Amino acid sequence: MPAVSVEHLAKSYGETVAVRDVSFEVQRGEVFALLGPNGAGKTTTVEILEGFRTRSGGRVETLGVDPADRATQRWLRNRIGVVLQELAIEPYYSVRQVLTRNAGYYPNPRPVDEVIELIGLAEKADDRVKHLSGGQQRRLDVGLGIVGNPDLLFLDEPTTGLDPSGRRETWDLIHRLAGAGTTVLLTTHYMDEVEALADQAAVLFGQEIVASGTPASIGGRDLGAVTIRFRLPDGVTPSELPVAGVPVGDGLVEIHTEDELRVLHDLTGWALAGGYALAGLSVLRVSLEDIYLGLTRSGDPGEPGT
Amino acid sequence: MSAVSGSGVDVEVPERGNFRGMSDLRLVARQVGFEQLSFWLNPIGALMTIAFSVVFLILLGATAGTTTVKSYGGIKLLDYYVAGFCGYGVMAACFTILAITLVNRREMGLLKRVRLSPLPTWMLMGAIIVNAMIVAALGVVLLLVVGRLGYGVNGPAHWGPFVVTVLVAMVCYSALGVGISTLVPNADAAGPMVSLTFFILVALSGLWFPIAPGSGLATFANFFPIRHLIDALVGSFGQRGAPYWPWRDLGVMLIWGAAGIAVGLRRWSWSPRRG
Repeated sequence: MPAVSVEHLAKSYGETVAVRDVSFEVQRGEVFALLGPNGAGKTTTVEILEGFRTRSGGRVETLGVDPADRATQRWLRNRIGVVLQELAIEPYYSVRQVLTRNAGYYPNPRPVDEVIELIGLAEKADDRVKHLSGGQQRRLDVGLGIVGNPDLLFLDEPTTGLDPSGRRETWDLIHRLAGAGTTVLLTTHYMDEVEALADQAAVLFGQEIVASGTPASIGGRDLGAVTIRFRLPDGVTPSELPVAGVPVGDGLVEIHTEDELRVLHDLTGWALAGGYALAGLSVLRVSLEDIYLGLTRSGDPGEPGT
Repeated sequence: MSAVSGSGVDVEVPERGNFRGMSDLRLVARQVGFEQLSFWLNPIGALMTIAFSVVFLILLGATAGTTTVKSYGGIKLLDYYVAGFCGYGVMAACFTILAITLVNRREMGLLKRVRLSPLPTWMLMGAIIVNAMIVAALGVVLLLVVGRLGYGVNGPAHWGPFVVTVLVAMVCYSALGVGISTLVPNADAAGPMVSLTFFILVALSGLWFPIAPGSGLATFANFFPIRHLIDALVGSFGQRGAPYWPWRDLGVMLIWGAAGIAVGLRRWSWSPRRG
């Protein structure tokens, strides 16, 4: 049974469509990224999965239950953790106090000291929240999301507003949680975050999913043209190459092709036969960002979601 | 989750229902403890909530002398002030502070976070309201002690009606606090909107200056619940021996409380409005 199953999900506020015909599955133990620009419907989708909002149509299951079913809502909330897009922590409590309070809501919480250690706030455990830096508060926010020892963790843009080291620390924490078997569903609009964290990803645009797959293959990324780049050997001109190449400065040459196997074969065969070194030889695929921009620049984005 | 075995396969069945008996009641008590901790961790806010009514009592009490209030059966003005500021203290804690707290928590996203935790709504709201009631009760006790030690005011002649009035007022003003919090569009507006409402109601109540019954102002003020709170509390300080139960005042407060709940239920939001 998948951790999350969504079929033809729809949500409207009167005439305004927030999500239309969204379908995807998140397998247990997987890190799944929901990618999309602001207003694409990411937060609405996640809030429906958490049971915070009701849906207008479609079928949704979170950990095997309908999140809108009030009879099982408490059971579900015992098993999920949520980190909201914006920081939400009382300023006057200490780190330990706020974690201890929230741990008491759950039947099987993680030990508070273990959470403090996990989020790297051991030295700040008795400091008040209002005295923490933005990055430290964000980590505490993640700590509140995991203190209940959740089977499924929702992270809504967990690194927005963090500096590079804060982002890297949050990624490390997510890696450790995923490594320990926690299923993670995160929303983001950072491509490097998807590549660093996600096993699977889906792009939401115009309130619907326009592509899904692994970060390496999404949007046909693994099938399209590649760029082969290398340093031109001394004494060789581009016209002498077995395949037409384009000088790009600094002694480098690039070859754009959709037939990478044949081109590489011809190129390396020529180099071996002639005794040339192809310094810095690399095969560059189209970046996830290029794919994402291609998906989200074209077409009508539709009405804004939330 | 319970495991059910059927055809040799274990099927996990989610528990249904949202009440867990005594363990839930312990959780409420625990949550009240954390609400109290949060309140006292902000000493300036805590002091202002309780100290305001005491300071007003001390200042006005110093000018009262032996003056009596004819319109309340010749009760001493000092008794009037002690009873009146008990009402003021209840309203400050259960209406003003409660409403501002709810708006701030909503706009900070704190309500949404708790909503997404397993803590049921009734526990959260129960703990917030009980916390306000504890603060209000502390204020009332402090005012009675200051009245006794500072001005020789003996306290209520009718303890039963006094205590019942305070309890009903706590419920009524907490409900109104919840109701008005839903009408405030953002955190910046919370203080001005709630405080302005509070001070207008207090001015109409006759707390600063006794209002003669039957006057136009009294008739207008009788529409609002604070006037009935002051009347009921001052009445409980009246002549000993005479039977006294302020049923009408209690009834009016409960009607206002019901209106507060109705507005709260209709307009409640767990998400920030930021309007």
